[in-house]
Amino acid sequence: MAAIEPRSNGIAAPKIRIDKARKRFVQKNGASVEAIRELTFDVAANEYVAIVGPTGAGKSVLFDCLLGLKTLDSGKIEIDGQSIGNFIKDGKGRITRIFQEDRLLPWLSATDNVALGLQIRGVPEKERRDIARKWLADVGLRDFVDALPSELSGGMRQRTNIARAFATNPEIILLDEAFSALDEITAARLRGDFLELAHHQKMTFVIVTHSIEEAIFLGTRILVFGAPARVVREIAVPPGAAENRALVDEIRDDIRSWIAASGRDASRE
Amino acid sequence: MWSLKVLLPFATIAILWQAASLFFPPYLFPGLQLIFANVVKILTTWDLLSGGLITWGRLIMAVAVALVIGIPIGLAMGLSRGVDDFVRPIVKFIMGVPALNWVIIVVIWFSNVELRIAVVLIMLCVPITVFCVYDGVRSIDRKLTDMVQSFGANRMQTIRLLLWPYVKASAFTATKLNVGNAVRTVIVAELVGAPFGIGRELDLAKNVFDMPMVLAWTLIMVGMAFVMTLVIEQTEHVVLRWRGSNHGRD
Repeated sequence: MAAIEPRSNGIAAPKIRIDKARKRFVQKNGASVEAIRELTFDVAANEYVAIVGPTGAGKSVLFDCLLGLKTLDSGKIEIDGQSIGNFIKDGKGRITRIFQEDRLLPWLSATDNVALGLQIRGVPEKERRDIARKWLADVGLRDFVDALPSELSGGMRQRTNIARAFATNPEIILLDEAFSALDEITAARLRGDFLELAHHQKMTFVIVTHSIEEAIFLGTRILVFGAPARVVREIAVPPGAAENRALVDEIRDDIRSWIAASGRDASRE
Repeated sequence: MWSLKVLLPFATIAILWQAASLFFPPYLFPGLQLIFANVVKILTTWDLLSGGLITWGRLIMAVAVALVIGIPIGLAMGLSRGVDDFVRPIVKFIMGVPALNWVIIVVIWFSNVELRIAVVLIMLCVPITVFCVYDGVRSIDRKLTDMVQSFGANRMQTIRLLLWPYVKASAFTATKLNVGNAVRTVIVAELVGAPFGIGRELDLAKNVFDMPMVLAWTLIMVGMAFVMTLVIEQTEHVVLRWRGSNHGRD
């Protein structure tokens, strides 16, 4: 198997660079919880990175930091060599996130939901609605442009969610367990569609998932996180690995053993 | 079937009332024909009808002004803990003052009758609007806020794109509650020295034990509240189309 050691700033000109990131929270009861510990990894441009790890490994907190919604206690996050703050300030929507739940605004039509990111960026109404309709057509919802979220099925809503993320023409998409709330058939179809769109748009994406099969299908590289968030294992996924049953089993067993080991480490700390 | 369900309780009360009118004098239980004759008299006599319309205008004004004052206060309380901590005790205090006390206070404070009535109604309606809007803002799903902000929305965009639709829904609830409140209170306010309005007409009817007229005005007031609520609900149905008739139900 193509397993490699965790890389610290190992890519010459990475799209995303996370260097010795640390983040702690103080809970309401006053207890301090460490969410991210000395996290270091790079993501190359057009790379697809899947992050797997135990629940509570700070993966969603990492995404919040990547979107500038939370700040690190120490360490740094850079995109294209810029600090995350400057990168976001330069242009809204260059990095976006697809959540586990569709998080559509219930009072907006599918078109207006997809156009939301563009509206926030100040794109004129006609232009943003045209873009939104084009993306809805691309995700197979041409006939549902005026439908309210309550009139769409779960799969349709998640397609709308994906269209909304792509509509802002982002350079980076963060997928936060984006397919986990769907039935397996719908999820499989959407994963395939998403991969095709990401490839077509020459996009970089990072997906957080609890499904090792999904990580193998979508990722060109898998990062196994321990808790608190830190890379404990890094696996390069060869092309077509998802179709190779034996390789999938091997990677799955490897990841599980690392997650179990990191859990034991965490419990001893 | 639906209309029968609605009509049956009213029909029962009407039959019992009519039966009582056979055994009691008209100043206690006037017959239905006498009451409806007075309703027709009110609706066809401009002097009387104009009094009703003045009261109706006062109601609409109070409910509208309560929205204009209450929405920004509720919004600010929902968005800022500091504002919430400072304003909440004041709004609670105002809410705790009985309507009659407000009437007495405004009689001492103001000589203008319209101002007296307006202040009483607004003081009763604003706190309800404030707390409805506050609850609306606080009930917004944190996940939606995260989603909007992950697209880079600033504070004003978050308010406009996310909070405002919730505030609108809360404002409709507040308006419906305020209509009921204002209808119950406006008469008390008008009784204190208003030269025009239903309160004045009721006061005159009371002085001569004109029970049919009192009941006719009562029916008209209920009708006013019904029409106002109906208009609000229809507007709500259009503005909040996304909620649908089964919103929140299984």
